[in-house]
Amino acid sequence: MLRVAAVLAAALVFAAPAAAGCAHPRTSMNYLQGQVMCPTCHTTLAMSDSPAAQRIRVFIAHRIAACWTTQQIEAALVANYGQGILAAPSHKGFDLLAWWLPIVGVLAGGIVLAFGVWRWSGRKEPEEPDEPTDSGLDEETERRLDDLLARFD
Amino acid sequence: MTRRVKATGQVIALACVAGLLALLVWSVVHQKKAPEVGAMAPAFTLQRLDGPGRVSLASYRGKPVVLNFWASWCQPCKTEAAVLQRDWTTYRGRGVVFLGVDYHDLNSDARRFVSAHALTFPMLEDGSGSVTSRYGISQVPETYVLNRQGRVVAHLRGPITDPGFATDFQNAIAKAAA
Repeated sequence: MLRVAAVLAAALVFAAPAAAGCAHPRTSMNYLQGQVMCPTCHTTLAMSDSPAAQRIRVFIAHRIAACWTTQQIEAALVANYGQGILAAPSHKGFDLLAWWLPIVGVLAGGIVLAFGVWRWSGRKEPEEPDEPTDSGLDEETERRLDDLLARFD
Repeated sequence: MTRRVKATGQVIALACVAGLLALLVWSVVHQKKAPEVGAMAPAFTLQRLDGPGRVSLASYRGKPVVLNFWASWCQPCKTEAAVLQRDWTTYRGRGVVFLGVDYHDLNSDARRFVSAHALTFPMLEDGSGSVTSRYGISQVPETYVLNRQGRVVAHLRGPITDPGFATDFQNAIAKAAA
């Protein structure tokens, strides 16, 4: 553990003066730790302190010090560990599903929601009848009811 | 029209739920398990770590095979390495094959490990862990002993230097070679 920390510290110390020699902006350990998985614990490197993760950190630190780009470091790790070492799926083949499915899901949800709102807003309120409907009472009863109600006016 | 749209929506929703359920069942059924004693060892072809070319397990059919899974970052693998090398020199004359499978490791670290421990038996690399997972390896080191037919005779979970394992290991090799 101490040896790994010492190597990391040394890599960072050497990295500082070497930064001036880089033809491109130097990538960061923090960024790569979020992009690379720990192969034995299936979390990102940032969340792991396993021996395998520590070795990968040392590997990355050395490559950063040597001015490797993010893409170069990721490619080297993929060549060694396979595609599974990257936290994000690739942009080709079956992996494309992982990128497109959420978008398709959100679009489908939006369409369903829009359809529901359209249906809800298009529904007509039951109209008030313009004229009183037939009460079903005979004329005599209706007249007596009207008289009775008139007393309360 | 509306009823048809509603029914279609329900069918799609049900299909989605059924699909997810099928996926769950498939993943449970296809969980990688360690091959049991008596079962055929999963076939594989892997890149050599100690030289060019690929090696397939099938090419050793007819010989007893000791299949050791290790990694350079694994502490117990370091103590085990010397014993494996000693046993390899002892048994190679009797036709026993030793194969090392380096798992989830940086190739540069692994080569350094092989060189530092002066290991001379064939070493294979399984950086992605795809073969290792088919053997149900959960922690290294682990060792399988296979008989001439490629069936598992023993599976030792832990270093062969562990108390008790030394005898099991010798017995397993004797059984595999019989």
